[in-house]
Amino acid sequence: MRATDFIDLEAGTLSRDIFSSEELFRRELTQVFAPSWNFVGHTSQLAKNGDFFLSRCATESVIVARDERGEIHVLLNSCRHRGMPACRYDTGNATGFICSYHGWSYGLDGALTGVPRLKERYQGRLEREKWGLVPARVKVFHGSIWASFDPKAPSFEDYLGADMQFYLRSLLQGPDGEDDGYEVIGGIVKWQVPCNWKFGAENFAGDHYHGYSHISVERLSVGLSGKTSRHNFAGVKVKRQPMYIADPKRGHTIRASVFAALAPYDDQEAASPEVNAYYRRCHEARQKRLGDKSRLMIHGGVIFPNTHFNSAGRMTIGLWLPLGAARTEVWRWLFVPRNAPNAVKDTLREYYLRYAGPAGMVEQDDMENWTAAQRGAEGLIARHYPFNYQLAMGLERRARPDEWLGNEVTITEDVTEHNQRAFYAHWAALMAGEP
Amino acid sequence: MTVREQAALDALLLEAEVARFFSLEAELLDERRFKDWLDLLHDDIRYWMPIARNVRFNEPELEYTRASADANWFDEGKDTLRKRVQQIEGGDHWAEEPRSRTTHLVTNVRIEKSEGPDITAKSRFVVCAYRLEHDVDLFMGKRVDVLRRQDGALKVLRRAIYLDQSVLLSRNLTTFF
Repeated sequence: MRATDFIDLEAGTLSRDIFSSEELFRRELTQVFAPSWNFVGHTSQLAKNGDFFLSRCATESVIVARDERGEIHVLLNSCRHRGMPACRYDTGNATGFICSYHGWSYGLDGALTGVPRLKERYQGRLEREKWGLVPARVKVFHGSIWASFDPKAPSFEDYLGADMQFYLRSLLQGPDGEDDGYEVIGGIVKWQVPCNWKFGAENFAGDHYHGYSHISVERLSVGLSGKTSRHNFAGVKVKRQPMYIADPKRGHTIRASVFAALAPYDDQEAASPEVNAYYRRCHEARQKRLGDKSRLMIHGGVIFPNTHFNSAGRMTIGLWLPLGAARTEVWRWLFVPRNAPNAVKDTLREYYLRYAGPAGMVEQDDMENWTAAQRGAEGLIARHYPFNYQLAMGLERRARPDEWLGNEVTITEDVTEHNQRAFYAHWAALMAGEP
Repeated sequence: MTVREQAALDALLLEAEVARFFSLEAELLDERRFKDWLDLLHDDIRYWMPIARNVRFNEPELEYTRASADANWFDEGKDTLRKRVQQIEGGDHWAEEPRSRTTHLVTNVRIEKSEGPDITAKSRFVVCAYRLEHDVDLFMGKRVDVLRRQDGALKVLRRAIYLDQSVLLSRNLTTFF
C-alpha cells in the first residue's frame, strides 16, 4: 500500500474509498489512531480529588481521574480480568472503581487494589502490580489533558511541534491573553453522525469554502455582534488576513486571521452591553500582554488526527471518534473564560448551544451535508471518480509576514484547500507506513 | 352536584383542556405551521432539554445537565426559537430542506399542580421524524410544562424536555418538542 494509492498531490485528487472502505477503516485504526496523542478533557472537569469522567481515545473508553494526591491519570477503561469497563458512570466522584463482573477493584491511579478470593484461590501468586488498569502517557498542556497509549510515540511536545504548541497555547489563552484562561461548561455534548470521521476533520482543518452551507444562519443574527451573521467578528472594522496554516510533517492544521494593525476594540459583542464591556477589557489586556501577537485570531483547526476546535469567540474542543467507515461519534467540550462575569458566561453558553452540535443552527447543516457526502463516497460507480481538492493549489508558501506564525508551517492566504491537502498527505503517509 | 363532584369535574375538564392544547401544538408542528406554534408560547418561555448522563445511583443530581449552567441540547427563550423558525422557513436550511415529515405524540398527560394562572403538567412524548428517502429519527422522553393562562388562552411558560437518550443517536435536532 502506497500513499499515492489514496492521494495524488500533483493532481489534487483523493480517492473516495478512504471514506467508505471498511478495510481501510480498520487499517486506519492501527496506522493513524494508535500512534497518536489524544485530547481527553480539561483540568477544570476535575476540580476535586476523586473527580473522574469517561473519555475516549479513538475507539477506546478511558477513565480520566484525579487521585487522592491530586495527580491526573488516564486509564484504559477495561478490567484486566475479562475486559468489562471498570467504570460505567460518565462522571462522578469516587475513591476507586469496581468491575461489576467479578468484582476486581482499582484505585484512582489504576492500581489493582482488590481481587475477590485473592489468598485462597490465587494462592498468593497473582502479581497485583502487573494487573492494574492500563495507564496512558499523560500530558497536561495549559489546562488541556492529552493521552497516548503508544510507548513509541514521540513526546507530546514533539508530536505537536513548536509551531502547533504556540497555536494550542494561544487557543487555550483566555480572551485577555492569560494562559489556561478557560473552564469547561458542565457536560460533554455527544452525538453520532452517519459519515466518515474525516468529513468532520477536513471541514474543521481548513474549509472556509463552504459558506454556502450556512447561508441560512448568515441571514439571521446568530452571533453576538448584533449584525446578521453567525460570527462575532462580523463587527470588526480593522482589515484582517485569513490564513490557512499547516504543519506538513505532522498533519496539524489551523485556520486563523491576522489583523493588519493593533487596533482599538470595535464593539464586536454589541448585542449584549455586559459582554461587550468584558471583551473590551479583555481586548486591551490581551494587547498589553501579547503585544504584536495579539493580532492573531484563531478560527479553528485540527490537531492530527481527530482533535478539533472552533474558536474566534466560541471556544469549543471536540473529537471525531471513529465508529466505522460510515459512522462517527462526536464529543464536544464547551468552554467559557474562567474570569468572566456570570452574565458573560451565560450569554456565551447560549450562543454555543444555538451554534454548535446537533441542535446548533450552524452545525446542523454540516452534519446534513457530510451524511450526504458519505453516500457519495459509497456508490458503485461514483467511488471510481476521485474528489477534487484543487482549490488554490500551488499558492502555499513558507515565507510569511510575521516570524511568530511559525517556522515549520506552510501558509496560504485566503480561501484554499491547502490545509485539507496537508492533512490527507500526512494521513496517507501513515496509512502507507511511510514516515 | 356535590362540592366533591364539582372538583372532580373541574380537574377532568382541566386535564382535557391541557391535553387538547398539547394535541393542537403537535398538529401545528406536524403541519409545519411554526409561526402559529410560536404564538402558543409565552414571550418569557424557557425551553430546556438537558443532556442525560449515566451516573451512580447515589449521585442522581448529576443525571441531567443543569439549566442555565451546563451544556444542554436546548436552553433558550423565544427569541432563539423564533430564529429557528425563520431559519427553517427560508428554504435554505439544508438540514430541513427538503423538509422532514414529523409526527408528534403527546400522551400520559397529568396535571401536577394548578395554582393561580399557572398549570404544571407532566406528559410523555414520542417524536418520529422521517427524512429524505431513508432517514428515521426517533425521540422519546418526558416533558414537564408550566402553562400560563393569559387573557383566557393557555401559553407555554416553561418546557422541560427529558430525552431518554444519552449520546444522541441522531445527527440533528431540527424538530421542536
